[in-house]
Amino acid sequence: MSKKVLIVDDDPDVRIFNATVVEENGYTPIEAANGEDGLKVLKKEMPDLVLLDVLMPKQSGIRLYRELKTDKTLLGIPVIILSGIAKRTFLRSQKALTEFGDKPVPEPESYLEKPVEPEDLAKEMKKYLE
Amino acid sequence: MEIKKLLFVTRFNHLRFDALLSLMDLKKAALNHVVFLNVIEREKVAMRRGKGYEKSAEIRLREKANIRFIDWAETLFEQGMEVGVYIVVGSFAAQVIQAAEKEDVDLIVLSPEKKGRLEQLYSGSDITEIVHRSATPVLVYKYLSRKGPLAENPFEKPLLAVSWSATSQRAIEYLKSLKAVIQEVELVYVASEKELKGTSAMAIQKTRKENRTKLEALCDELEDVGITAKPHVYVGDTVEELDKAARECQSSMIIAGSPGKRVWKDRWGTSISKGLTEKSVFPVLLIPPKEG
Repeated sequence: MSKKVLIVDDDPDVRIFNATVVEENGYTPIEAANGEDGLKVLKKEMPDLVLLDVLMPKQSGIRLYRELKTDKTLLGIPVIILSGIAKRTFLRSQKALTEFGDKPVPEPESYLEKPVEPEDLAKEMKKYLE
Repeated sequence: MEIKKLLFVTRFNHLRFDALLSLMDLKKAALNHVVFLNVIEREKVAMRRGKGYEKSAEIRLREKANIRFIDWAETLFEQGMEVGVYIVVGSFAAQVIQAAEKEDVDLIVLSPEKKGRLEQLYSGSDITEIVHRSATPVLVYKYLSRKGPLAENPFEKPLLAVSWSATSQRAIEYLKSLKAVIQEVELVYVASEKELKGTSAMAIQKTRKENRTKLEALCDELEDVGITAKPHVYVGDTVEELDKAARECQSSMIIAGSPGKRVWKDRWGTSISKGLTEKSVFPVLLIPPKEG
């Protein structure tokens, strides 16, 4: 059975693009449109990799990432952040949340700023799935 | 009635990021989540003869909005805030109400109408529609000049328009939940000319005294939770007098109850909230009655 990749992004066009890259590389895409739904799907499907957007309605990728990396059953799942939000901002926001009293979380496995070329995404996915 | 999550509705030219920054004092109360909304109105991407639906125009407008929101979101994320975004095509009022419900926000912040009087007559006022259909308080944010916000923090020195209705009491509860942000509140009751019973000085002063006494009781209620409050009675046209009072008290904002979904024509109905949002130079926070 092929490995499962969860795509969490509110933009349907981006989900289609990412799902196509995932499929073309022999993996199975699963989709969620925001952080809140993403967490539910994560727990239900236990994917092998997560492609995570940051700026989304309901719950941002920043909060979803934090929930994932502080949950014993989920923290081993690698995450590639795909976002227009700069990596520096992502790391600073995690630091701010830790200063407010939340648990510290590790840096994401990979961070790609949008727009992403299909070959770059494929190369990055292979690092964690093969 | 804490403000934990607010919906910031912007068309970019009428409501900018500095307006949102002026509301960041609300973090001292409970604010930790901002949701941005930009509504691309249908006529901007509508079908045109020979052109059809302008998908490319929609993409351009979406991405322009997205670029602004990414920039704004980065600032807020770095402060540890949670941020969400909606960029949608549709009718303005309907999309605002839908996003507020989906996200279950505690406050909607938007700019005054850009519609002209004739357009409003034809298609109605978006703010009136939102206030009538939404159970969420609405802050109509205003700039005093093009230079920037009226006050550094609109919640710092608000004026509460008291009407002795259930909504007024709800507004008092709302203020109490914001005690970490509010420095001082002016409680203003505007008596109409008709209310001044009789023509004798004694009768007129009696009306003032009755309302003043009731205002003082409300001031005591606020002072019990640590908010300084002052009572004022004015007489005349409600909208004009509230605006006058806000200037005299150097207020940062006017807070008023908005009419219920079924109440369309009471004195504290459409005309007052609409009048304030249209005529006053101050930001106006409209608090709807409790649902149910």
